Amino acid sequence: MVTEVALSLDLAIILLAATVAGFVAKQTGQPTIIAYILAGVVIGPVVLGLVEVTELTETLSELGLAFLLFLLGIKMRIDEIRHILAPIVKISLPQMAAVAAVGTGTSLALGFGVTESIIIGLAVMYSSTAVVIKMLTDMGETTTLHGKIDVGILLVQDVVVVILLAVLAAGRPESPAAVATTLAVVLVLVAIITVAALAASKYALPAVFRRIADDKQIFFLVAISWAFLFVFVSSEIDLFLSPFGIEAYLSIEMGAFLAGVAIAQLPYSKELQDRVNPLTDLFVMIFLVSVALTLQASELLFYWQEAVVAAIVLMIGKFVIFFTLITWQRFDRETTFLGSLYMIQVSEFGVVVGVAAAAGGFVGVEILGFLTLVALLTMGVSVYFFAWGSALFERLEPLLERFESAETFTEEKREHSDHAVVVGYDDVTRNLLGLLEHHYEDLVVVDRRTDHIRELEEAGYRAVFGDVGSATIRKDVGLKRADFVLSSSDQLEIGKRLLRETGDETTVIVEANSPEDARALYERGANYVIRSVELSAERLGDYLGALLADPDAFDRVVEREVELMRQPRPFPDLHEQVEGELDD
Amino acid sequence: MAEMLTAVAIVFIVAGPFLLLANRYDLPGAPLLILAGVIAGVFIDEALALELAQFGIALLVFSFGVGIQLSTIETVLADSELAAIAQIVVVGSLGVGFGLLVGVPAGEAIYIGVAAALSSTIVATALLRTEIRSNLIQGRLGESIHFVQDLFAVAFILVVGAGVLELDPIVLQIGYGVVFLGAAVLVNRYLFDLVGRLASGSDELMIVGVVSLLVLFIGAAALVDVPIVVGAFAAGLAVRHDPAQYLGLFNGLDSIRDFFVAIFFVTVGALIVLPFVATGVAESVEKLTLVAGLVLLTVLVKPVVTAAILIHRGYEARTAALTGFSTDQISEFSLIIAIEALLLGLLTQTVFDAIILAAAVTMITSALTHRYNEEIYRWLADRGVIAGRHDKIDELSHVPSDLTDHVVVLGYGRMGSRVVETLEELGHPYVVVENDPALRDDVRFECEAYVFGDAMEPYTWEKANAAEARAIVSMTPSPVVSRRLLETRFDATLVLRAPDERTAVEYLDAGATYVAVPDLLAGEQLITYVEALLEGEMSPEDMRSAGLAELPPVRSTRY
Repeated sequence: MVTEVALSLDLAIILLAATVAGFVAKQTGQPTIIAYILAGVVIGPVVLGLVEVTELTETLSELGLAFLLFLLGIKMRIDEIRHILAPIVKISLPQMAAVAAVGTGTSLALGFGVTESIIIGLAVMYSSTAVVIKMLTDMGETTTLHGKIDVGILLVQDVVVVILLAVLAAGRPESPAAVATTLAVVLVLVAIITVAALAASKYALPAVFRRIADDKQIFFLVAISWAFLFVFVSSEIDLFLSPFGIEAYLSIEMGAFLAGVAIAQLPYSKELQDRVNPLTDLFVMIFLVSVALTLQASELLFYWQEAVVAAIVLMIGKFVIFFTLITWQRFDRETTFLGSLYMIQVSEFGVVVGVAAAAGGFVGVEILGFLTLVALLTMGVSVYFFAWGSALFERLEPLLERFESAETFTEEKREHSDHAVVVGYDDVTRNLLGLLEHHYEDLVVVDRRTDHIRELEEAGYRAVFGDVGSATIRKDVGLKRADFVLSSSDQLEIGKRLLRETGDETTVIVEANSPEDARALYERGANYVIRSVELSAERLGDYLGALLADPDAFDRVVEREVELMRQPRPFPDLHEQVEGELDD
Repeated sequence: MAEMLTAVAIVFIVAGPFLLLANRYDLPGAPLLILAGVIAGVFIDEALALELAQFGIALLVFSFGVGIQLSTIETVLADSELAAIAQIVVVGSLGVGFGLLVGVPAGEAIYIGVAAALSSTIVATALLRTEIRSNLIQGRLGESIHFVQDLFAVAFILVVGAGVLELDPIVLQIGYGVVFLGAAVLVNRYLFDLVGRLASGSDELMIVGVVSLLVLFIGAAALVDVPIVVGAFAAGLAVRHDPAQYLGLFNGLDSIRDFFVAIFFVTVGALIVLPFVATGVAESVEKLTLVAGLVLLTVLVKPVVTAAILIHRGYEARTAALTGFSTDQISEFSLIIAIEALLLGLLTQTVFDAIILAAAVTMITSALTHRYNEEIYRWLADRGVIAGRHDKIDELSHVPSDLTDHVVVLGYGRMGSRVVETLEELGHPYVVVENDPALRDDVRFECEAYVFGDAMEPYTWEKANAAEARAIVSMTPSPVVSRRLLETRFDATLVLRAPDERTAVEYLDAGATYVAVPDLLAGEQLITYVEALLEGEMSPEDMRSAGLAELPPVRSTRY
């Protein structure tokens, strides 16, 4: 039967289990990541043995990681991260060395052999990209200072893991020179792709995306196409280099991230975030479920006592190491505390390194089980520290104060509040912008057309490209904290959404297509509902009356209105004057 | 990288440039994705392409189901279900006949018939977006004809899923189909909002939940050997159509659909075995004959049949012709049906390829005919190929013979009816020109004088005695009609309606006396309110009361 080919039973079970677990987690107030991972443990070989890894789930998991990093890339505006690049490198390299040392030491103390301990050390030094970025995204903290530091460190770790995997894939390294060559090749490749991405972002992409940004669907698909181009080149780089006798590997994640960064520098990236987000959620979920699918219970639990001890030691060790290093770079205490607390887990890459090491004959499958268990345990625990991070910080703040350096690294924060938001740039809103700008220091206009955005920016207004139906855009313009919201979208669902998400104190003016819609919007608290068609009909009735009763009066008012129409600028209400004149 | 991921990467990398082309030349994306697939096919294994296509099929049909609002399905259908069904029967039979004529076995000729009969909702909706947004009749008609065709397609797949054309399995299949629909309605009515509440506002959980629902329905379909298409369609119906409540969910499903549907079109293209390149001359000629026949049936015969049926049903010649043009492409559902049939071994590669190639060709030509549809119609009408039926206009209209110095009101929508109200109050003679059958009763009941005809038809204006009118007030948002009125240069005062200031100035320059721009008026009125508000002369509550007072008392809607 056809259907069994594609939509395998495995995938169905994974989706259903994760959904049920996700809903349970939501209702009981637990993070959904935990639910997904646990769902994987339950349906996988460890407990029920219903599913195992198939090519399809593997593909979807890889897609999940690729999309997660692409999404992350889209959010990275270089202007906003440039100033923290140096501290990030200074933190991440010593951090990995220190954590690897702690990991190796702990393993030796737990009785593992020297090679095994070194591999374990190398495997546990990364924090989990999937968990950290997913949690940061869910909590809306990717663009906070600690969020950016964590993301930066994760990317440096990603480069290192790519190098390590390349070395492990080559089998036991023949000499330090071989390792150095691999390292050099990978770094050069990363540099080349970065330069290519940034050059494209500067010279090629603006023209292309300005053309297509007005077409929602093509815009989305071309962006995805762009991402896959980088994913493909990165992961198949071997294909391009082998004719030259060079052997090298790059990760899918690295390519996806750089593709995203190239797009992030364009003004159209905001809306894309919301388009990519659902796919990412779906695929990352499958990735999280499948973390626990690879191993049998006996392999996973072979060293369970050691794993529990190692997990505790590593979480504490990681926190202390991160805390020390971030403080050293003179970040403030909140940034340091949260930035460290979020990074205490062992990465899924640890498992990948374990797989490579087992395949290379460095360690046995039980070590792989040990690493997987440590990763699962630390991920599970760390997720709660995300949830409790701010509360913990408040409690511990007095204690942390003395670690903080006298002069801390700062960055200006910009958030809208008590401002005016205008949705849609058209004949309804255009003439109001001057008036609003006069009264509000901060005025943002959201529109979905590139030519409108350019027109607005040329006129000196702050314009955001995107669809207000998208949550990212609504958040970006600070809808919740706005004092005045005016929307000329006549889509009922948009009107309702704006009313739902604004405060009681906010003045909200929306547009409706029919008296029924208008009434529905008033019921939901609109301060005024624009009904352009009715209004126009009424005015036309008056004019027509004038035409039939007193053609000269009609000519006069029409002439004046036509004149005004030809020179667009804010103009006073003509309606009153027209009626006044007609009464004479 | 997994083999399948490589395939997906290739699909998108190849698709990118083709999509840029589509954007550059304002063509629909679907046919260019199919063409991209022809190239991607070189790199992608056929089994893998088929597997990936299945996801696209599921999502495509699922979104069709999601788009259906169970509560309003009757009003959509009432408009044109007979016309649509008649069109399917006539064009379908012609397609089967053609297939048999060129020597295709009866079992396969049915698929040629289906391919010829059904038109693409995705392509037509993209092309008709302006007409649909302005609520012009041809937009609405086209939409509902496509809707009926899509429903037919799902039913066809359900029946063909039996694999054999015998009564027992078909009855069983239909039985399962009914069970699936019943389950969908139950979920929609009773379960969906519960799921929504449990998700507590999390879009992620909502999306994951709905995707699980889809997988569940598909799994159930697979279990009882019903095509997954039917399961996916039922799952779509089960989703409560409430975009305001579940905005994040609907946006999310759009993304997921766009992603997989793009994969679908590319993989469909990848499944084509190119004539002459990969096959012998005899087979290639056979394939191309089929393609040519299908293209002719779709591009020429189908619009003619559709238009003829619509004219027969009482629609205006121009409306009928424009609606006919909007059906001149092969449906994505025909592609789905072709793939399913190919997999079941009911279709040979030659016929399959012919259907896919013809689909790609007609989807592109459809964009061209849509671009020049008014010109084509005019050309045909001027040569008397499509004759406006004066007797029909006469029969449906009521105009006093001594009507002069009157006002001609074009369009009896909300603005038009308000204008008529004023004229009645003033006791001034008028005549309403309308061509929407849905408004026929309103016009006949409420207006003293009216003409039922198309505004592009000279006879309509003759009938309304426009030459001796005092004023012509056109409330249609259609730019084609507005420009036509400007070209005709009646002596009367000409009042038009425009969507924006720029168009308004264009009309004024071309000779209009006055142009109503609803948005501009609304903006003006809003300024006074907002100014008063910001100056503190009016409180937000005052503004609200003023706005509420402007609302008309509750009465029946009209668009």
